[in-house]
Amino acid sequence: MKALNSGFVPIKGTLRSIVPMAQDNYLFQISVEDGSLSGCQPGQFIMLWIPGVGEAAISVCSGQVDGTLELCVRKVGRVTSALFQLEEGSFVGLRGPFGHGFPLDEYKGKDLCLIAGGLGVAPIRSLWQYVLAHRENYGKIILIYGMRHSIDLLFRQELRVLLRRHDIDVYIAAEEIVGPDLPPVPEQLGRVTDMIKLAPIDQNFQVAVCGPPVMYQYVIEELLAKNVRQSDIWLSLERHMKCGMGKCGHCFVGGKFACQEGPVFSLLELNLLPEVIECHRK
Amino acid sequence: MDICYKFSKESFLDFFKLMQSFGQVHAPVRVSEQSFSFRPVEKPEQIAFEALRTILPPKKMFFPQRETLISYSGKEVKDHTPEPLAQVLFGVHPCDLAGLGIMDNIFSAGPPDSHYLARRQATLVVGLSCMPDKHCFCNSMGTDFPHSAYDIFLTDIGEDYYLQIATTLGEKLFDPKPDFIKTIDDQDNQSYKDFWTNRDKAFTSNFKSDNLKQIFDLEKDNPVWEELGKRCLSCGNCTPVCPTCYCFDVIDVASLDGNSGSREREWDSCQFTGFAKVSGDFNFRPGPVDRLKFWYRHKLHGFDDSYGLKTCVGCGRCTVSCPADIDDIVGVVLRLQASQNESKKDESA
Repeated sequence: MKALNSGFVPIKGTLRSIVPMAQDNYLFQISVEDGSLSGCQPGQFIMLWIPGVGEAAISVCSGQVDGTLELCVRKVGRVTSALFQLEEGSFVGLRGPFGHGFPLDEYKGKDLCLIAGGLGVAPIRSLWQYVLAHRENYGKIILIYGMRHSIDLLFRQELRVLLRRHDIDVYIAAEEIVGPDLPPVPEQLGRVTDMIKLAPIDQNFQVAVCGPPVMYQYVIEELLAKNVRQSDIWLSLERHMKCGMGKCGHCFVGGKFACQEGPVFSLLELNLLPEVIECHRK
Repeated sequence: MDICYKFSKESFLDFFKLMQSFGQVHAPVRVSEQSFSFRPVEKPEQIAFEALRTILPPKKMFFPQRETLISYSGKEVKDHTPEPLAQVLFGVHPCDLAGLGIMDNIFSAGPPDSHYLARRQATLVVGLSCMPDKHCFCNSMGTDFPHSAYDIFLTDIGEDYYLQIATTLGEKLFDPKPDFIKTIDDQDNQSYKDFWTNRDKAFTSNFKSDNLKQIFDLEKDNPVWEELGKRCLSCGNCTPVCPTCYCFDVIDVASLDGNSGSREREWDSCQFTGFAKVSGDFNFRPGPVDRLKFWYRHKLHGFDDSYGLKTCVGCGRCTVSCPADIDDIVGVVLRLQASQNESKKDESA
């Protein structure tokens, strides 16, 4: 008699569509056999398995998950490179969803600012899809999305639609215009921090942030300068992950497992922990 | 409250046979002049009763250095959670019992780890008392007395072993009560008490551990970290030998047919450069200083947030196995505490 089933057995998924979005960034739509991923919340992640290659932790970027989910993936490592070689109809394994996503209950009835840098737009997109689908539950909504080169813009079509809506303020800027122009926004050139300065954010806002690790300290400084409370700044942290179950130790941050208690933490929670924001390229 | 009996050391063979009736016995065996290892044994003569610390702690019995988690062939995936196999782990000292207790906590919390638990739950753990050497500091960590994780514990009280039975699994082993098991009297209880009192006096070091969390927070920039980190070779020796280091990597091993293979779990170490590296080559702990400090903090400041546990059990394995002589936990703690005392003096002056 077996006591338990292993948490390492994946669910079977099938690649339904693969859409190139920008250089080395594709949107993958995956359908799953059972409904086990349907409770997935914005900000949660799954472990994507390519048999024979390995697993990678990837944020779910669709606001609602039922039989299918979407992953926006950049080709950077072994697993993602293998994923890019697969064709529609291929088999992939999935485990999850893992962790705590953005605190949707906490956000209810409040003004929201969503801040994305680069590929950090993936989990932020799940959040904007979710809050726009439940628009009546939220106050003002501001979206800030920055990237290094304009050619890296992701979800171009979807952002054009958002720009036409009156119930969400969208700021998009790149540090450099390379290739096609950005959608028609007032300030096309700049950093995420420049847009935070421009946007009418005040102490009543709940803020969700996801971007490359180096971005956080600058974003936090700007938000604090706008009197946003530390307990209202929610950061999605990227960490190396192997299990998703609070065991393998790779995602350990200060005293917490990012895979279980995160990946979204309030700045207040992280305040006293070492190695949270600071990071080095090596 | 444990059930207590005693048996004569001369009847150890009877006790051994009783253990064998439960399952394969694993016990410390001398593997070189200075080292011991938990190995399967067939007769009492193979057991090294004098063994203090084995090279690897008993975690290897339940969390092997490498194991298959799942295997696949095409789209078919097979779970490799092991079938529970009754076995006996004999000769576990109090520090290692504390280590097992911590591992039990971690592997049962959250989504439980079926691979660890299947092996653990089918194992009868028999603890054994010991006398400390100069590297032992379980007395400082509060792990010098058996509290949990054992089914049976034996204390050496001279000609007899004082026998404590703590679990149903242990109780069943002595039902019906074998002839070699004797009831205890006041004298035996006194001998038991004397043993632990004398043992307590045998420790060469003793530090205060109830303020470790505070010390590690306040002394996070202490020069000791730079000093030790500069000498660290990042060899990772300190982690496999630690009774509570459980970090692992999971890798795919593909067969040559390209269609089948397995996912294997193997021990990993937070002392390796790539341990905390994320995409884009960002590393949260790029240098040996960062990684060593992380390890120390994890062991002594602890899982205060996640599991509420300090994870050092004072066995001294890291101290004896560090080639750079920097895993001197007692020395580091004393230095940090001294710095704190200095700061306090400065303030009151």
